Amino acid sequence: MKKLLAIMFAVLMIVSIAACTKPEKPVEQGKVFNIYAWNDEFKGFFEEYYKVPEGVEVKWIINPSDNGVYQQKLDEALLNQENAPADEKIDLFLAEADYIGKYVDSDYTMDISKIGFKNASTMYDYTIKAASDTKGVCKGVSFQCCPAGVIYRKSIAKDVLGTDVPEEVQAAIDTWEKFDEVAAKAKEKGYYMTASFAETFRAFSNNCTKPWVDDKGNLQFDDQITAWIDQTDKFIENGYTLTAGVWDKEKTDQMFATGKTMCFFGPAWYYNFCMTNAMDETDGCAGDWCLVKGPQAYFWGGTWLLAANGSDNTEMLKDIFETFTVNTDVLKKMVKDKNQYVNNTDVVKEFAEDASYGNTAILDGQNDIAIFYELAKDIKWENHTNYDQLLNEGLQNKLQEFYTGSVDKDTAMKNFYQYIKETYPNIVVPEA
Amino acid sequence: MKQMDQNKAGMIKLTLLRVVVYAILIFLSFLCLFFFYLMIVNSTRSNAELAKGFTLIPSGSFFINLKNAWNDSSINIPRGMLNSLIISLSTAVLTTYFSALTAYGVHVYDFKGKKFVFTFIMAIMMIPAQVSALGFVQLMNKMNLNDSFIPLIVPGIAAPVVFFYMKQYMESVLPLDVIDAARVDGSGEFRTFNTIVLPMLKPALAVQMIFSFVSSWNNYFIPALLLNKPELKTVPIMIAQLRSADYSKFDMGKVYMFILLAILPVLITYIILSKSIIKGVTAGSVKG
Amino acid sequence: MENKLKTNNGKLKSVSYAKWGYIFIAPFFIVYLLFTLIPQFLTIYNSFFETYRIGLSQVGPNFVGLKNYIELFKADPNGTVLILKYAWNTIWMWFLGALPQFVVAMLLALFFTSIRLNIKGQGFFKTVIYMPNLIMAAAFSMLFYALFCKGGPIQTLLTNKGVLEMEFDFFRHRVTVRGMIALMNFLMWFGNTTIVLMAGIMGIDQSIFESATIDGANSVQVFFRVTLPLLMPIFVYCLITAMIGGIQMFDVPQVLTKGDGVPNGTTRTLVMYLNNYLKTYNYGMSGAISVIIFIITGGLGGIVYKILSKQYKDPEAKHRERKGKVI
Repeated sequence: MKKLLAIMFAVLMIVSIAACTKPEKPVEQGKVFNIYAWNDEFKGFFEEYYKVPEGVEVKWIINPSDNGVYQQKLDEALLNQENAPADEKIDLFLAEADYIGKYVDSDYTMDISKIGFKNASTMYDYTIKAASDTKGVCKGVSFQCCPAGVIYRKSIAKDVLGTDVPEEVQAAIDTWEKFDEVAAKAKEKGYYMTASFAETFRAFSNNCTKPWVDDKGNLQFDDQITAWIDQTDKFIENGYTLTAGVWDKEKTDQMFATGKTMCFFGPAWYYNFCMTNAMDETDGCAGDWCLVKGPQAYFWGGTWLLAANGSDNTEMLKDIFETFTVNTDVLKKMVKDKNQYVNNTDVVKEFAEDASYGNTAILDGQNDIAIFYELAKDIKWENHTNYDQLLNEGLQNKLQEFYTGSVDKDTAMKNFYQYIKETYPNIVVPEA
Repeated sequence: MKQMDQNKAGMIKLTLLRVVVYAILIFLSFLCLFFFYLMIVNSTRSNAELAKGFTLIPSGSFFINLKNAWNDSSINIPRGMLNSLIISLSTAVLTTYFSALTAYGVHVYDFKGKKFVFTFIMAIMMIPAQVSALGFVQLMNKMNLNDSFIPLIVPGIAAPVVFFYMKQYMESVLPLDVIDAARVDGSGEFRTFNTIVLPMLKPALAVQMIFSFVSSWNNYFIPALLLNKPELKTVPIMIAQLRSADYSKFDMGKVYMFILLAILPVLITYIILSKSIIKGVTAGSVKG
Repeated sequence: MENKLKTNNGKLKSVSYAKWGYIFIAPFFIVYLLFTLIPQFLTIYNSFFETYRIGLSQVGPNFVGLKNYIELFKADPNGTVLILKYAWNTIWMWFLGALPQFVVAMLLALFFTSIRLNIKGQGFFKTVIYMPNLIMAAAFSMLFYALFCKGGPIQTLLTNKGVLEMEFDFFRHRVTVRGMIALMNFLMWFGNTTIVLMAGIMGIDQSIFESATIDGANSVQVFFRVTLPLLMPIFVYCLITAMIGGIQMFDVPQVLTKGDGVPNGTTRTLVMYLNNYLKTYNYGMSGAISVIIFIITGGLGGIVYKILSKQYKDPEAKHRERKGKVI
């Protein structure tokens, strides 16, 4: 056994040393283009639609988002950007709306007007604002938009409202007051309006106008947040919704044909990929769904491309930004072949006006781009802060315990304040 | 006659005891296998089927999941398995060997500061790893050891928990007479350790090799923070990568399939090594 | 044999083997100094500073003395001292899982090593009971969550059968969530402990058992008078490492309760608390929690080690120890 171990050990050491040696390549400045990402979605588009200039090697550094590894490594690399050799400097990195502010509002991202890129008028305003710091300096672009609306169950709408025509349903729920009234009617007929206490959260929080923290560092609740809490209190109390989280089984079970829920909130990727229960061949109800704007325009998801400060491939950066925001040939292909809602109003308008367009089975061939095209104009992005992601998450998690009946509301709110103290000691929370 | 009655009673008692023992064993095995069975069932189901909820009946997507996982462009399963194998085996070997060596040093020799050494190692064993993990990663980055297996393998040499085990094991099974005898025979200290003591520790070595192999194999956080190059990534990183795929490619079927595949090498290692935990290993050597 | 050794002892005494002690422990300490010491030292050092990040901008480090520690022992807005609550959660949940873990593992180890019982299919059983430990904790928790969540098979089955009320949710009650966590920890670790104890029993010289049986001791007597004392060092190892693992309990409750320790933080462990601070790179507070965890583990571990090691130092071990000193 010992001999065997010794041999095994020797072999392993050799193999591992061989595997560790870094190949030394004599690379000149600006010849390596480094991209940080958490999955290979954009990589697919990049490789298909973007022609890399001769002599440039593109390096993808892809790290999973599990356990915050992606941001952790990105932060580490950005903080080290100044000292890194030219061919190891990050040129471009990807970010999501939830945490984009953290990078935009720092010196680690670059003013894209300085590399000669001008934001086109065809880009959605909210995507520009999201990529801009507090002074309005833009640091990147979004290559996809994720406008989101209300996906309602036609058969239930017919039963509750007497109609399942999108225009009429939209008219019945175009404000939150009307939405709540319909919820009461749905309840009378034995239905739920939504299937999760947090279902409408994004529709409210996207429309906030006040930041979570004021100039003096005090926590403040935007009217939209308060409105969400009030609505949810009412919905839970009256049984208009379930206590499940947005991703819980209790909610997704409601998508089956046997489900009793009228409305789901989400963007295109949500009904295309996450409503698999509705699309189930035996137990689903594909085609019984329809998309409308709902009470308030909002978005959910989307990926931004940010220019890293210190990049020595500025020409290429500009090129990439242009390819994915104004190159109509590429963008049309992305809509048609990849089902993407691109960040170019001219391109999406063409599809919105094409009555024959519409290929999603779950919506029975409804032209969803037409709905999103109108809706996306109203999406807001105002006064977002670095605190948003963790505070929004914390509020929902702590309140869920109140809605499930584990704690009273006062305790839940105090738990939220304690959570803030732990997360951001600088924020002043209301005293108990 | 009385003797026979006693024997008979003893036999009945033994049979009863056996029934109880087997019942306990079967119950526990059922509990353990149940979760394993769930994993297998899950690996036979498609993403949409998994979203529908649990079932105990396997579905037909096993080979589709296998093919999809195998062909996924963001991961390279054989490469990941090889990387994990290199890291885990090296760690297991280094950890057990050097921990035994250190424990032997403390157990057998009398030197100044011996007590302190023991207390010190016991103390560092109790420092929680979570916080220093990030500091460790920063240190390795500064030492330019990211994208290398060294920081994942070599620190195994200083494993306080394994040291503690070896020390305790020696305390309970290693008679110092054997070492004396070896010295009389003119054996050098290292030779005594390698050729006489190590074989006596075989069950202990096997046990700790299993444990360190498994924990190294399933380690995600530190390797994920240190390794960038796709060709160096380990199995848990690849599983996490499947989990953070975008919605058009997200497929829990693939994830479960890979989790299942990832268990096989550890299971095989366990079965091989557990054979070394054999009864009465020391009996012969002590008497000799 | 005794005689031979005694005559040789005199000779051995004149040679000092102390330097071999240093040589043998050198690799451990060199590697420890190179790889682990600095981060561990920084953990303690940072606990005296205010240092965290808001986004990418760094706050501090500012020296604040013991402020972080004082902060930890202040009551939260609900009037609870959280670190005490979480320490209690952790120890209690550990105990709930560890008690059956040790009882079952000890029994199994005895079953497997008993010549009289002569268990068939040992290879199978030993493999199967260790299997839960092979599954990644995160994957195991995922399975458990899916089984017990609202609308999951177990909840549905029990409510349909009328065992539980319709709206019963396993994740709403302290007892059930703690129970699930303890059950998972038990399942993941009892095989592991069984193997360690078994290897310990097998390492014991068989002739000791034989002579005890010949002397007429019954199996219970053999266990308490012979097996347990000889096994005590290994048992102490199991207990102390299980305790260290228990007090650092993290991934199971983290994944199962999605990091929240539902309901109302009653299943939140010390390391989950610490982990929350790491989200914002708050090395000051997380360092302070680490030090407190260290003190708790050290205290409990030290007590267990002292009591059990002393009580069960059998004559033979003492004899060996004395000899060790001679060498």
